[in-house]
Amino acid sequence: MNRLTKLALAAVSVPALGACSSIGTGEYGFSSYALVGVRRVNVGDGSLTVTPPRPYNRHRSFLWSDVQDVEDWTQNGPYLDGISFVSGLKSGRYLIRQSKRADQQVPKFRSDMTPPEIVAMLESLYRVKGGAVEFRTLSLQPRPFLGTGGFQLDYEHLDSDELWRKGRAVGAVINGQLYLILFDAARSHYYGTILPDFESIVASAQLRR
Amino acid sequence: MCARCYELSRRSLLVGGGATAAALSTGIADARILPKDMLPLVGPGYRPTEKDEQGIWQLMDRAEEEIAGSNLLMTDPKLTGYLKDLIGKVGGPAARDFRIYLAHIPDFNAMMFPTGFAVVFSGLLLRMRNEAQLAGVIAHESGHFLRRHMIRSWRDQRRKTDIFAIAAMAAGVGGAAGGVYLGDYVQLAQLGTILSLFQYSRQMEAEADAMGARLIAEAGYEPVEMSNIWQQLIGEETASARYRRKRRRRGSLFDTHPSEGSRMADLKADALEVKDPGRTYEVGRERYLATIGGIRPLLLDDQVKLNDPGASQYLIETLAQDGWNGLLRYYEGEVWRLRNRHGDDARAALSYASAVSYPDAPADAWRWHGISLMKAGRNAEAKSAFARYLTMKPDATDAAWVRQMIG
Repeated sequence: MNRLTKLALAAVSVPALGACSSIGTGEYGFSSYALVGVRRVNVGDGSLTVTPPRPYNRHRSFLWSDVQDVEDWTQNGPYLDGISFVSGLKSGRYLIRQSKRADQQVPKFRSDMTPPEIVAMLESLYRVKGGAVEFRTLSLQPRPFLGTGGFQLDYEHLDSDELWRKGRAVGAVINGQLYLILFDAARSHYYGTILPDFESIVASAQLRR
Repeated sequence: MCARCYELSRRSLLVGGGATAAALSTGIADARILPKDMLPLVGPGYRPTEKDEQGIWQLMDRAEEEIAGSNLLMTDPKLTGYLKDLIGKVGGPAARDFRIYLAHIPDFNAMMFPTGFAVVFSGLLLRMRNEAQLAGVIAHESGHFLRRHMIRSWRDQRRKTDIFAIAAMAAGVGGAAGGVYLGDYVQLAQLGTILSLFQYSRQMEAEADAMGARLIAEAGYEPVEMSNIWQQLIGEETASARYRRKRRRRGSLFDTHPSEGSRMADLKADALEVKDPGRTYEVGRERYLATIGGIRPLLLDDQVKLNDPGASQYLIETLAQDGWNGLLRYYEGEVWRLRNRHGDDARAALSYASAVSYPDAPADAWRWHGISLMKAGRNAEAKSAFARYLTMKPDATDAAWVRQMIG
């Protein structure tokens, strides 16, 4: 075991013991996985709870990663599929950590954003940070979420690793904060296989009062 | 969120580091290289005769096979045929041997491989204002092949250091599945690995410039457009950096290119020298727009959504020198909306309002005009803008949401 792996493992034990721990993926740092069991769990900063239909892998990054409202899960590894939770992103905040001086930036969230603006923010995330060279919105429609009027976005994108990926995001802005569950997977096989899990997770989502 | 991002940054750092190290070892050209001295070292149907070059060709054939099959390529025959015709005009003695591929990557870049195939990024087509400029970039890349720069640079690197060996290169080509990223976000198979092995010296870049000026002038293009390309690139990078309050960094295409001042001066001098008195030289703007016009909305979309407001605004204003229209005003609005600083929503709203006053306003301009009006509390006007959007685009992917807004 090399030194970095040890350091990463040492780091994992600290937040795992915390009450409402999760760390979003940032640009740098180490990462590791933890098991999510089939029971109601807190995600993101803990203000959102869901129940997965089967065990999942929680993907965490460490150091330099401070977006506490974002959490990533995967079944087969992040290159093939991933479910991300955004648990109440506040106005003026970003979905991911990025340098203020980077030429290309993911736009910040604003509490008065309409669904098309949130879609544009997600599109730039994939283009700027995910290496997407094509991004297609397949549909944007109203959908109830967390007991309020939300939206559902379906999309697909061709990434620079020459793989087409497909995704669905269900979200709503509640009290000026963004709540979103997003599913993104390789378009062939993985998307169709895991979509029922995603739908089940979305249906189980509740705000933690 | 975006689990692949971490991998992307890590790899681009590795590639970036390698390129910097190589750039430091490049020499500086002292005197200007004269176009008249730039004789092609390669004739039609060239094949390598020496062992090391034959080895490189074998590997490059494999690389080309992969690139030719990449789903990142744009295959519209109108565009690919146009590029093929252009390299046929400015490719010198090897004109008929070249192959040229168009990759859908929103970046200013073009590259020539040692076996005579070139890859042009779609971002280049957004930035060129006329056919002479595009021909200039292609001629510059042809110059690298005609002057045998790849093999010269390869042999030079081998002399300086032992770390580059055919075996290492084979590993790079074989490792295509893992991929190496070029620039901040771009991976095109194994281009990064391959290109890092062919760092051109400043001398070579100066040669390619002189050769390029000569080739486009011979084909009847205005050679001064070569220096205009360079001026536009500097302008774009400076504008991008200014927005982020930092110094301009040099772009990937020109990392090891001659220093800016001397390059501009040299290209202008070249332009005068390669012209025959009495002959007329064209820029071919109409032909360029007739070919590229159809994909310009796509190219603008690719650029603006990267949210690099300085560069995008500079590009839009550069294109608007040929006249503002609904498309450009719409994308100007998109630049402000994505930048999202204090007051940008009002700026964006003005641009959308202006865009829809032009007959060529895209449907999306009406939608965003509607959203801006709605946020400003002008609901009746917003509804009519949304209705206009749906009339123009009845099968809009967000029609369900827009209908909900209309109520």
